[in-house]
Amino acid sequence: MMNIIVCVKQVPDTAATIKLDPTGKSISQENITYVLNPFDEYAIEEALQTKEKFGGEVTLVTMGPDRAEEALRTGLAMGADKGIHITDPQLAGTDFFGTARVLAAAIKTVPHDIIFCGKVAVDDNAGQVGPQIAELLGIPQVTAATKVEIAEGGASAKVNREIEGATEVLQTSLPAVITAEKDLNQPRYPSLPGIMKAKQKPVQKMTLADLGLNPAEFGSGASKFEITSMAMPSKREGGRIIQGDLPVAVRELVKLLHEEAKVI
Amino acid sequence: MEPNEIWLLAMWGLSILLLVVFLYGFYRKYRLANLGVQESRWDKMGERVKSFFVFGLLQRRVVKEPIPLLFHTAIYLGFLYLLLSTTLVFVQMDFGINLLYGDTCLWATLLADLAGIVVMSGVIVAAYRRYISKPTRLERRKEDAIALALIFLIVFTGFMAEGVRILNGDPGPLCRTSPGGQPMDDAAWSPVGVALAWFFEVLSLQGETVWGVFWWVHLLLAFAFIMYLPYSKLSHIFIGPLNTFFRSLRPKGALKKMEIKEDAEVFGVQKIQEFTTKQLWDLHACMECGRCQDNCPAWQTDKPLSPKKIITDLREHLYERGKVLLKKSGEGEEVPSLGGNVVQYDEIWACTTCGACQEHCPVFIEHIDKIVDIRRAMVMMESNFPNEMNPVLRNMETQFNPYMVGNDTRADWAEDLGIKKLSADQDVEYLYFVGCTASFDDRNKKVATAFAKIMKRAGVSFGILGTEEKCCGEPLRRMGNEYLGQMMITENINVFKKYNVKKIVTACPHCFNTLKNEYPDFDGKFQVIHHTELLSDLMKKGKIKTSKKLPAIATYHDSCYLGRHNDIYDQPRDALEAVTSGQLKEMKDNKWKGFCCGAGGGRMWMEETLGSRINETRVQQALDVKADTMATACPFCLIMLGDGIKAKDAEEKLDIVDIAEMFESAMEK
Repeated sequence: MMNIIVCVKQVPDTAATIKLDPTGKSISQENITYVLNPFDEYAIEEALQTKEKFGGEVTLVTMGPDRAEEALRTGLAMGADKGIHITDPQLAGTDFFGTARVLAAAIKTVPHDIIFCGKVAVDDNAGQVGPQIAELLGIPQVTAATKVEIAEGGASAKVNREIEGATEVLQTSLPAVITAEKDLNQPRYPSLPGIMKAKQKPVQKMTLADLGLNPAEFGSGASKFEITSMAMPSKREGGRIIQGDLPVAVRELVKLLHEEAKVI
Repeated sequence: MEPNEIWLLAMWGLSILLLVVFLYGFYRKYRLANLGVQESRWDKMGERVKSFFVFGLLQRRVVKEPIPLLFHTAIYLGFLYLLLSTTLVFVQMDFGINLLYGDTCLWATLLADLAGIVVMSGVIVAAYRRYISKPTRLERRKEDAIALALIFLIVFTGFMAEGVRILNGDPGPLCRTSPGGQPMDDAAWSPVGVALAWFFEVLSLQGETVWGVFWWVHLLLAFAFIMYLPYSKLSHIFIGPLNTFFRSLRPKGALKKMEIKEDAEVFGVQKIQEFTTKQLWDLHACMECGRCQDNCPAWQTDKPLSPKKIITDLREHLYERGKVLLKKSGEGEEVPSLGGNVVQYDEIWACTTCGACQEHCPVFIEHIDKIVDIRRAMVMMESNFPNEMNPVLRNMETQFNPYMVGNDTRADWAEDLGIKKLSADQDVEYLYFVGCTASFDDRNKKVATAFAKIMKRAGVSFGILGTEEKCCGEPLRRMGNEYLGQMMITENINVFKKYNVKKIVTACPHCFNTLKNEYPDFDGKFQVIHHTELLSDLMKKGKIKTSKKLPAIATYHDSCYLGRHNDIYDQPRDALEAVTSGQLKEMKDNKWKGFCCGAGGGRMWMEETLGSRINETRVQQALDVKADTMATACPFCLIMLGDGIKAKDAEEKLDIVDIAEMFESAMEK
């Protein structure tokens, strides 16, 4: 029997066209749909497989506004047992370290034998929260796992990581934080009965006060960094083929490279 | 008791046994089919009677192939006539009722001899085909041989008995000069009997005993036939025509709707008894002619799917599980799900739902609904489907299209064309439902543009939904995700109703079929037409004029969902002929026999790794007739066949276009 925790995040669907809002410091909420962070799906799948093997319970933890509950429901539809949703108006604009503190505080309230996270969240691509949770809980961490083998009895785990041109195999005691790379498994598609049941599964709402945290230490005001600007990648234009006689074409190409592209 | 009486008693005793065995055979089939979920098909009686007459009795579909036309008709009509004359003899001898007498009766006797010859010839042709030509679609099992042998031997021994009787100088059993009159000598009217009589004379085989032996063998064979019938493929004699009576009268292209109840335990079909009673009768009805297999594009490109095999595998499983289920003991027992076990994973996912199997089945077996029912369970219960479908389903959930892009770019193609959006002005005649492929795929955006330009020039009043449009639900339903499919359908219907939409035109046969034939099941009744219908109509009304003929040798590729599923064959050809100067070439498989492009049933988004490629096979057919232009009227076909042309390196020889594009370039500007 293992108590398995998965930290998840709701992120904008990357299929949608992302636009900047007028401040230029964050993205526009217009036309955005939110999904469960894809890397977190691998984490949930690994948690579910662990539960299937050893028995136990999978608890999802997330921090975010009301809509973040949808991400929990997606995970519950996949088969997780319950969710913890930390939501508090004071949390708006909280940085990575603040997020890690909140999640770690929530995890401390429940028994935990292993904690899975996604390697990164695809929105801000930081990859900090998982490792920071491990530090805050004082337990080991293995990031970007591609294979996890938990020893009989659940006291330790052997974890593979892909490194440049090789596979690194680590042994860690448990509890530990393991973050999921995308080759870790093939996340299951939620079954319809799973989706139906997910609506009834318990989601515990918690505020900063419930966790005994001081609201003044969270939110944009307490952030350790500030986003000064965001920019869209420049639009890619179609290639051009210069046709015609070779010497003429070459002259044309040189001219274009010099005058238009300004690379020579 | 007189010896005669003993024989008579034996015959009647046997007859009762025979009846019991015969009825029990069908009762057993009924009990097995009744394990399913009740489905009533007693509606639209007029149409059903007509279907029974045309397809059951006249066998319109059986005779669509020349060899079955020959032998099946011979055996069917010959046997029917022999049955009729045997009944007459029976009525006359055992009840003393004379219906035929005099010359009419003699003619009937002659006809019976001829019918016997016809049946025996039919059996010989059938046996030649099965055992010597050996087409792959036919099996050679014991019951096939027994069935043919029984039919042949019944007629053969009948002739023998007749021969000996004539040699013995006995009059025939049937004909009298008048009701109650003298028996007539029918030897002159029984050419086969006379010929055999000569033969027996040479062998000195004659006398009452010899006749009695032949007669009893004849009778016992006939009894064996009747008793064997409900336990073998011969049962198709009854179940086949019944199946044409109870055939689906829904629009051909419409899938069966699945009710989604929050508290349901099962979605789709995992166990054999979750099929409906009619679906299980379908399994009984199959006599394994193999036409479905012959015409299946997956089978023809060496994939493991054979629609026939699916039916016979399910039937075998029904008998096996049925034994347990009928004892009521095995109901709660854990059995592996049908999909991936009784019917293999690769078979289930190879189906393009092109409908060739159903269109060719002489007894209207519904293969697609069964395959989709199994897919439903595999997707909604077991998440057991090709990996490539995963991102498609997820994008459908969040972006309402299968192309992994954001829905916000759905109307980008229309930006500079000055096309009305219903959100700005709903006072239009037609909603142009663009569909995902024409909205997001670069090649198909050109088709949407061409079609919109034609409508504008012809003065058609239309508008689009822009980003309010969602996937029509067609691929989702056919991939087995009924839940998500129904979500799309209801959301689209709400938008249609919001803008008071009455008429819808679309250039996609898949959208067309679903909007037209499936939306009514969800309380969405609209008048839906396909763009080829509109083009053909505008042309006839003189609203659009073509100024030039394109110098193309064109061939038209029938989209399955426009052709087979909706019987639209002529309008696209009319439109095509109007804009090309060359003669229209027809490929080997065309119209109702049209060969799929490979993209239906959600296969558009799945890898095709088994066997050869369906799209390339189709492209080869176009190359074979030396066409230089392949015209389509379906965005999926356009993509698939375009890829096929590239894969075959035939871009120089063969161009692929949508009919709307041809029209647009030939139109008066």
